[in-house]
Amino acid sequence: MLLAQVITNGILLGGLYACMAIGFSVIWGVMNLINLAHGSMIIIGAYITWLIATNTGIDPFLTIPAAGACLFVIGYAVQKYMINRLVEASVFMTLILTFGLDMVFINTNIVLFTADLRSVTVPYGGLGLQIGEVRIPYIRILVFAIGLLLTFGLYAFMTYTRIGNAIQATSFDKNAAALVGVDTKKIYAITFGIGACMAGMAGSLVAVLFSFTPVVGDSFTMKSFVIVVLGGLGSIPGAIAGGILLGVVESLAVVVLPSGYKDAVGFAMLILVLVLRPQGLFGKKFFAEIKG
Amino acid sequence: MQKASAPTHRSPGTGASRGIGRRARLLGLLAIAVTALGLLAAPEILNLYWLRILTNIFMFAVIAQGINIIAGYTGYPAFGNVVFFGLGAYGTAVVMVKFGGSFPLGILAGIGIAVLFTIIIGPPLLRLRGHYFAIATLALNEATKTVVNNLEITDGGMGLSLPLPPGSAFESAGFFYYLYFALLAVSILATYVLTVSPLGYACRAIRSDEEAASCSGINTTLVKTIAWTISAILTSIAGGIYAYWLSYVEPSSLFDMTVAVKAFVIFLLGGAATLFGPLVGAVFIELITTFTWSNLLSFHVGTLGAVIMAVVLFIPNGFIPMIKDRFTLLMELLNTRKRR
Repeated sequence: MLLAQVITNGILLGGLYACMAIGFSVIWGVMNLINLAHGSMIIIGAYITWLIATNTGIDPFLTIPAAGACLFVIGYAVQKYMINRLVEASVFMTLILTFGLDMVFINTNIVLFTADLRSVTVPYGGLGLQIGEVRIPYIRILVFAIGLLLTFGLYAFMTYTRIGNAIQATSFDKNAAALVGVDTKKIYAITFGIGACMAGMAGSLVAVLFSFTPVVGDSFTMKSFVIVVLGGLGSIPGAIAGGILLGVVESLAVVVLPSGYKDAVGFAMLILVLVLRPQGLFGKKFFAEIKG
Repeated sequence: MQKASAPTHRSPGTGASRGIGRRARLLGLLAIAVTALGLLAAPEILNLYWLRILTNIFMFAVIAQGINIIAGYTGYPAFGNVVFFGLGAYGTAVVMVKFGGSFPLGILAGIGIAVLFTIIIGPPLLRLRGHYFAIATLALNEATKTVVNNLEITDGGMGLSLPLPPGSAFESAGFFYYLYFALLAVSILATYVLTVSPLGYACRAIRSDEEAASCSGINTTLVKTIAWTISAILTSIAGGIYAYWLSYVEPSSLFDMTVAVKAFVIFLLGGAATLFGPLVGAVFIELITTFTWSNLLSFHVGTLGAVIMAVVLFIPNGFIPMIKDRFTLLMELLNTRKRR
């Protein structure tokens, strides 16, 4: 039945969406910083995967750590040498700063890789499972599984490691965390690096699933924003729920509405959620309510 | 000489301008008048290229002034304010192309749509604050773009071609130049009137502390919506003129997020909640854009991005507050010589 196929597609896509959104959510929840360059970081990760996979023939899924590591370094450097200078960052400034960064990233990508459509194909790309009338390509299962794995990995990191706990502490109360000995500046740099790292790894998955150009990053940023608001700021289960919800709704929308409305559906949901329940499904009322 | 902290007369503007003496303000007004006269004479002197650049500057200054009203004076960062630009443009386009209306009628239609928008969508969206509001307006812009892209009456993604304005290329260039100049003057005047009016005080109260403003008896929802409506009207007129100027409208270039953020950066760069900030910012950004476009074509986007980042990092309050601070310091230094 078409409906089952569509919903399955949506759920599988949701895994990727969750992985995409989680980096965005962490940066926003901990540092009160909306990273408009998030989508471009995803695309950079996609390009790294594309570079390695097409030049060495390694399976793209194996390049995920490389993309993650590169983006971590980029994110850490950006935060430490640029964003850190905005000490009392107001809502205007950080948005504009990251947008400027986004423009620099996009232009760099265009210059380095040209604006041609890129994608990574794998030999087993056309194969898949057949459960009843529903066809599930292997790639989508892998992307879903790895996306969720990375998300849970981040959750484990946040909960069970010292640095993860330090990050959470800083997000709850910056001054209290500093009082107990947390180096907040370094934590911010690490957090931004982690957010970028997650974006890069999500980008590797994107490279396998979609074809991309330097300029499609902005739509990923918007999607991440919708997912974070849907699921709740600073909540990792929220990002997963939000991702799957968005995936399913988008897939359904393509069937029901003319295809041009696919993105508008996400925005409509965003506006609805913001007006009706701003904290999303799992979130607590966070920064924007308090600091404004 | 009264210092900034204890003015004896009520004067509009923020604290820094109260510290400036009357002589300095007269000088400032004179400078503005001279510049305005010079700009009025520009079509006689400049060639079409520079005329177009100046017209662009005025247009962006108006859009930024619209943002100034809702974000600078009321404290609601409407990132997606460009949606009204697109609505104004499409209102004008549809009226002129599909209904054969005249240009003024088209502008009125654009204003009408923008006002309808703010009245309906304003109150629910204005319940959000800060980041949420900013991105919600961006999402609104994107959603409106998608809807316009799919409607029958707007010919969807194909866009609409408007009838050409009468007269030669030079005449119409001058026509649009004066039109935008007039709109800019109107927008600055409107902002000034807002500043000295009770509505303006209400807006600034909301910006400082919305709960306190509400407790003082201000109907915050009404005030915010009115402020946003004024902003929308100015922006939609700019859009309507743009449609006629370019003679072509299509959704992706009119509801462009890059234009939205560029206008916001112009607003920030000039100085939030200042009268001439948007114009100063527009001059700076447009000149840089023109320079990089003609000299660094393959990296002009990145250069603009780098400039934006530099602005945010080094001039976070904008040019005019920076100039005012230095100037006030200078004036106070000079005035302490004559003790009254």
